[in-house]
Amino acid sequence: MKKYFGNKMAILVFTLPTLILFTLLVFYPIVQVFYKSFFDWNGLGSGVFIGFDNFIRLFDDKLFFLSNKNGFIFAAVITLFQLSMATILALAVSNLKMKGRNFFRIAYFIPVVLSVTVVCQLWLSIYNSDYGLLNRFFETLGLDFRQNWLTDRKSAIYAIAVVNAWQWMGYQFALLLAGIKSIPNSYYEAAQIDGATPVQAHMKITMPLLSETYKFCLLISVTGGIKAFTEMFIMTSGGPGTSSYTLTYMMYSAAFRSNEFGYGLAAASVLVLECLMAILVINFIFKTEPEIGGE
Amino acid sequence: MAIKKRTTKKFKLSEWLFKGFLWVYAFISLYPLVWMVLYSFKNNEEIFVSNPYGLPKIFRFENYVNAWSQYNVPQYFINSLMVAVATVFLTIVLSMMFAYATSRMKWRGRNFVRTYVAIGMFIPVQAVLIPVTKMVQTLGLTGSHWALIVPYTAFNLSFATLIFYGFFVGLPIELEEAACIDGANIFQTFFKVIVPTVTPAIATLSIFTFLNSWNEFILANVLVLDQNLKTLPLGILFFQGQFTTDWGAMGATMVIASLPTVLVYTLFSNQVEKAITVSGAVKG
Repeated sequence: MKKYFGNKMAILVFTLPTLILFTLLVFYPIVQVFYKSFFDWNGLGSGVFIGFDNFIRLFDDKLFFLSNKNGFIFAAVITLFQLSMATILALAVSNLKMKGRNFFRIAYFIPVVLSVTVVCQLWLSIYNSDYGLLNRFFETLGLDFRQNWLTDRKSAIYAIAVVNAWQWMGYQFALLLAGIKSIPNSYYEAAQIDGATPVQAHMKITMPLLSETYKFCLLISVTGGIKAFTEMFIMTSGGPGTSSYTLTYMMYSAAFRSNEFGYGLAAASVLVLECLMAILVINFIFKTEPEIGGE
Repeated sequence: MAIKKRTTKKFKLSEWLFKGFLWVYAFISLYPLVWMVLYSFKNNEEIFVSNPYGLPKIFRFENYVNAWSQYNVPQYFINSLMVAVATVFLTIVLSMMFAYATSRMKWRGRNFVRTYVAIGMFIPVQAVLIPVTKMVQTLGLTGSHWALIVPYTAFNLSFATLIFYGFFVGLPIELEEAACIDGANIFQTFFKVIVPTVTPAIATLSIFTFLNSWNEFILANVLVLDQNLKTLPLGILFFQGQFTTDWGAMGATMVIASLPTVLVYTLFSNQVEKAITVSGAVKG
């Protein structure tokens, strides 16, 4: 058996394809992101080493701060919306006695499986200021609330964030639903005997026991906000003007529009670092919280 | 949950309001979809002027015929399908072999190698967009479906290897011992004895990977420039720029693009949700 499990030839055949693919397309690129961010590089050749110049320029660039601010707004909107909605809906659907559970479960999740381009096209039509569903809806209600949702500098980023919040709510809903299902029923029975209302029971039992799930939900929505790109790319092209730029968008346009690859990669390095920071901070917050209940 | 609500009258009203809320959100979640389907059967006049939300006056199936015959939609569909199927196949095969070697075979450095591939879980695709594009060019993959299949597979490997590792590590050693006594070599044992034990995991991961690659946009957007290699998410975008006059056909294309994933989800909703929850547990 030792010879069998130590078959060097088999080990190579089994691991090499994965190692090569992963190294070439994931690991080497991430190293390149940091390394090449110190170069003045137009995408061709190897570029010129310029030390921290790209980063100095980045921290001097108003667009960089706007991008970060937008990332923050985006993260805040989707986190607030998704976590609160997903919590309420998952608690409701987890109720065994509820009629039509499967219908609700599928209805809430379905936007997740749609392509982001389809979703963006859909919302483009909904937001359209002349014939869009949203403005028509306000018209039907007799309200004078017509807005240029996506072409207004102030509202564009919020309008875009709503699209993402709407599409991915179902993801967190599914996570929380699975978490709730894994909590033994006897906990709730005990709470009921002690005279707790359903709301109290959820506050004291469900929430603390789901802290791992909440941590993960928070991780996805916060890093999702920092990384936001596709929605602005399709719906506003970062506009109007540059008002809906994000870090990824900045990187994209630096590299693929003005051929400043080094500068784009400096933005990408900051993006990676911000995501790592978010992960560390969220993990730290959840670690310091006192453990209630227990495994 | 088995909490029986104390049914006082006050409680009934709030319960009623809550039910209403659930329906309203289900409506918000589903309505854009319904609207898209209706839209795909209308002409421009109905979409913009006379009938933006209601049922179409006549169901214009010709929108689908037009989308399919006049525009590049069949090509986009085939491209999406080829890329997704190849990505699923490669991801499953490669990650299973890798997970087997790192979970059951004995060699130095196997834990290091396993952790190395797992760090991919924390690398956002957005961040490495530029170097990945360069790498795809260097490898000479541009201009074929491999330009997408190879990076998609690479980015799906980290998660898939972790899942298979979890399954393999708990299998009893007797499986290999029995096969070894029967005279099978390690490759035969792996494919004939080990692989069949994880078919549920293969199914779940296949669906998950399929959905991911069918809908992928960010990489495809920079890696595919050739009109004939575009996948559906890119095709819809192209439609927006080129044929702004035929909105009905664009609606039809959106429905065609969404149909496979919606179908896969409604048929295998439990598996899809299971895959998502597992990914939650792994990343958290």
